[in-house]
Amino acid sequence: MSKLFKKTLLIIIILFAIIALTTAISTGWNLYRDLTEEYKSKGTAIAKSIASSSVETLLNREASTVQAMIDQFTEIMGVSYVFVVDVQGEIISHTFVPMIPEEIQVIKNDKTRTIKDIHIKGMGDFIDIASPIVEGTVGVVHVGMDKGTIFSQLRAGMIRQLSLLSVIFIISVAFAYIFVNKISQPLNTLTDYSKKLASHDFAATVDIQSQDEIGLLADTMKSMAMDLSEVFERYELAMKDAIVELQDTLSYITAVIDNMADGLLVTDIDGIINHVNPALSIMFNITEAEMIGKHCKDLFGNELAEIVEKSRRSPDEAFTTEIKLAEGKVGQAVATGIHKDSLETDDFHGKGIGSVILIRDITSEKEIGQMKTDFISTVSHELRTPLTSVLGFTEIIERRLEENIFPLIQQTGQIVDTTIERIRNNIKIILSEGERLTALINDVLDVSKLEAGKVEWKIENISIAELIEHARFATSALFEQKKLEFKKDVEPNLPVISGDRDRLIQVFINLLSNAVKFTEKGYVLCRVKRGDDEIVVSISDTGSGISESNKKTVFEKFIQAGDTLTDKPRGTGLGLSICKQIVEYHGGTIWVESQAGQGSTFSFTLPLISRDLSKPFDILSISHLEKN
Amino acid sequence: MHKILIVDDDPLIRLLLEEILSDVRVRNIRIFSADNGHTAAEIIQREAPEIVFLDVMLPGINGFEVCNMIKNTLKMNNIYIIMLTAKGQELDKQKAKDSGADFYITKPFTIQDVIRKVKEVLGPDS
Repeated sequence: MSKLFKKTLLIIIILFAIIALTTAISTGWNLYRDLTEEYKSKGTAIAKSIASSSVETLLNREASTVQAMIDQFTEIMGVSYVFVVDVQGEIISHTFVPMIPEEIQVIKNDKTRTIKDIHIKGMGDFIDIASPIVEGTVGVVHVGMDKGTIFSQLRAGMIRQLSLLSVIFIISVAFAYIFVNKISQPLNTLTDYSKKLASHDFAATVDIQSQDEIGLLADTMKSMAMDLSEVFERYELAMKDAIVELQDTLSYITAVIDNMADGLLVTDIDGIINHVNPALSIMFNITEAEMIGKHCKDLFGNELAEIVEKSRRSPDEAFTTEIKLAEGKVGQAVATGIHKDSLETDDFHGKGIGSVILIRDITSEKEIGQMKTDFISTVSHELRTPLTSVLGFTEIIERRLEENIFPLIQQTGQIVDTTIERIRNNIKIILSEGERLTALINDVLDVSKLEAGKVEWKIENISIAELIEHARFATSALFEQKKLEFKKDVEPNLPVISGDRDRLIQVFINLLSNAVKFTEKGYVLCRVKRGDDEIVVSISDTGSGISESNKKTVFEKFIQAGDTLTDKPRGTGLGLSICKQIVEYHGGTIWVESQAGQGSTFSFTLPLISRDLSKPFDILSISHLEKN
Repeated sequence: MHKILIVDDDPLIRLLLEEILSDVRVRNIRIFSADNGHTAAEIIQREAPEIVFLDVMLPGINGFEVCNMIKNTLKMNNIYIIMLTAKGQELDKQKAKDSGADFYITKPFTIQDVIRKVKEVLGPDS
């Protein structure tokens, strides 16, 4: 039984109950009133008719005649009793069997026309109608109408009515059942249909042909299902494409990660390892299963945990540390935070969700670096020792020749003088070339130390003017030799700068001696000016200048202005490269302006607000590693 | 009589220093030489020279150790020690200072470097 029908049934029952009750009350009341009235008028008529026709009989005291007359009236429906009272108040005839009830004795003396209700014990309720005969002079006729008949008629009428209502009720229910079913059946069908749609069964059909609201609903649902099916199909296709693309990308990424030579470690925000690659397992000789879910501190120590923590806090920075690998190898770990741009957080940098740590085996790099350092110091040692002997003994020879031999030569002449002069020149060449070789060895050592980041920088406050004085003093012999003028134009009241005194003097000496080397006559000018937030130093000469093609390469290693095949090389070719590294270390830049034949100007800047020089080795060693 | 000890594993450097010193024209100089740290230590303890030219790279015990032994273990503070090395690195300069050396000459050196230093140590009368 459908719920709809249950509700309808309830409504019908209530409705019928109300109808039945009201109609029963109203018809019952009407019927009772009508029947009572009818009985009264009927009784009155009977009483009158008996009264009028019994005058004579009574006067003649023919009781038996009266008895015979009243007896026939009891045949009339509703008439229960009739009795006649004479003027003396005696009941002369009556229809009571077997005897006159007591209640009748009480009312028999009423001589007026009255209608009253009486109750006779053992007989029931009656309407007593008294009709006087000849204004009461002869007697009174009483007719008793039976109220019980009224009630039984009433009951019968009510039963009929209720039976009729019941029939109507049953018919209504039957009709309602059919009708409600007619409505709920398609509704149920539609419900089933929509359930199927909800479970994405778009192939389901529904067969409702009616033209009413339900039909309309069915049509709407059908077209909605079609639309949905189309949309779903489109999304499914798009999703399939996306999944395929995602799978491809994932395969690529997995392949890239798995085949990386570097070890990869991914941790969540708490430092718990959630991804590693095979290279990492090999590096540490720990299986992947042993690493996943563990804290990186437990497996790889405090140093790594520290950079992981730092990377989580600073999204834009990478942090590095050295870490011991299996089999005595050394790795370099670089940790970077994984940060999600999120609208939910107010944090400018988004939300940190973990860290990526790349670990590179730098054992061989370190070995190579160490080998390079060892090689250079060994070579420089091995070169310096014989060079010391060569230069030392040459000096001794020169000294002994000058002091002990040449003064003893008595013989004079063109040949002897020329020979002595040539010997002097030859010895000078040996000495100057030996010194050049020494300078070259020193420069090579400097370059390798700068590149390896092994220079110990002593940062202190220094005055530019003082640096120039030092450099001027160190190069004074060169200026005298070439008879060149040294000019300087230094702005007064320059602020102190912070930097490495010895290294900056090295830059000045290098640039000044270069200027002298390439200048035959004229002067060398050293100019120092204050810029916005830097000091600009420029050293100009009136020498040969540098051609356009050479300008680009002068700061590169082993490059010198001029053609080494035709021109005599006059330096190591490392000086400007060293200058560039020193200036750049201080946060400045170095450049050259020149035209062939018109002199050159080498300039460099030193920032007044120096950058943080506290951690120079990290920066240099990282850049060094990146180069490799 | 001034005693000077030259310690270097390279015979040519020893010869060079000997020749330079022979040209100094200082009277009564006696030159000792050693090619390794052990011999050097022996001579130092036996002869107590005024000046020791001490190479860093020596077979056996190196120059720093010899220097350390003289100054800190034997407490022979009168001996003037001049370290000779091929390395011009700050680290070696610092090591030389720490081990108690009095002076530091990097190779290659000039005759003048050596003569000036010896005259300075031995005094103006030499």
